[in-house]
Amino acid sequence: MKELWDIYKKGLIVENPIFVLALSLCPALAVTSSVIVSLTMGLTVLFVITANNVVVSLIRNLVNPKVRVPVYIVSIATIVTVAQLVLQAYLPDLYKALGIYLALVVVFAIILARAEVFASKNNLVRSFCDGLGMGTGFAIAMVIIGACREVIGNGTFLGFQIMPAAYDAPLMLILPAGAFILIGYLIGACKILVERIEKSKA
Amino acid sequence: MSHDEKNNSIFKIALNLTMACFVSGLIISGVYFITADAAAQKAVDMKNAAMKALVQDADKFNPVEGKEGWFKAEKDGKTIAYIVPSESKGFGGPIHFLVAVTSDGKVLNYDIIKHNETPGLGDKGGQDPFKSQLIGKKAENLKVVKDPSDKENVQAMTGATISSKAVTNGIKEAVEAVAHFTGGK
Repeated sequence: MKELWDIYKKGLIVENPIFVLALSLCPALAVTSSVIVSLTMGLTVLFVITANNVVVSLIRNLVNPKVRVPVYIVSIATIVTVAQLVLQAYLPDLYKALGIYLALVVVFAIILARAEVFASKNNLVRSFCDGLGMGTGFAIAMVIIGACREVIGNGTFLGFQIMPAAYDAPLMLILPAGAFILIGYLIGACKILVERIEKSKA
Repeated sequence: MSHDEKNNSIFKIALNLTMACFVSGLIISGVYFITADAAAQKAVDMKNAAMKALVQDADKFNPVEGKEGWFKAEKDGKTIAYIVPSESKGFGGPIHFLVAVTSDGKVLNYDIIKHNETPGLGDKGGQDPFKSQLIGKKAENLKVVKDPSDKENVQAMTGATISSKAVTNGIKEAVEAVAHFTGGK
């Protein structure tokens, strides 16, 4: 149990997909302009990465190593398409809200990276925990970025006005360039945190 | 070489990938088979709900003959508005609208059905305060300007001029189409 917890935990901070591994920065820039969108995206990725890790772990002995990457992509695309079809049929409102982001999940580097680095070499339970951890880390990072951008750039949180009406929001932070600068600061903050954690272990 | 031929011949590799795609295809078609009916039903429901939201006073929606996708919103047997699909080129690709136009050629309401505009900037084109600017306007005032003192026309959204223009033009087209349609009767 301890081992599984460690696999889960490392995705949260020490190997956080966005702040430490710096993978999938594209969605971190593109779809974090508000908290709710960031959260939706984070949860979608959490689901897809976990499901994909499980599938890849199950088929890891059947796949020829020379075509493993295309096979992983096919697996991710299948999961996303199935999710899309199911949402369309039973939760059309959520489907509408996710829009194009859902299809974009297919090409997220972090999902392929976890399939390649972890799930293709580990058993089902371990891969499941890794996917869950990485997905949670991704979602947390997305929400943090989204919260900073929405509060500072738009003066709202989850759509509610929290800044005084006279607050003149800097447009910079809503634009992708502002998100890039913000992510830079957050990576710096995360680095300090990781160093603290490692020091306390040593 | 013998090892290569046994496990890594091009045929085997290709077969491996083909199998993966085949299984994937099977799964997707299976899911589609189950969900297709429900999805089509939901799409119709959502369209009706969307039209109801656009023209709240209406009690009936009838398709307009000879015009694909057009609907008449009726109240007590009288046409109070037309609901027209429209499309224009936005910042990130086509934007699809459903526009409700009153019989005398004013924008009653509109809804963006599908778009790829920048989240946080261009996607505000379907929300207030931008939306409320367009409502009630006639075709000649559907023009995007950047002069804040100009109250007659439409103010561009900050940082999203192209999206503002695209939304406005798409709606203008719909209004003109309706004006042409009702004028030609």
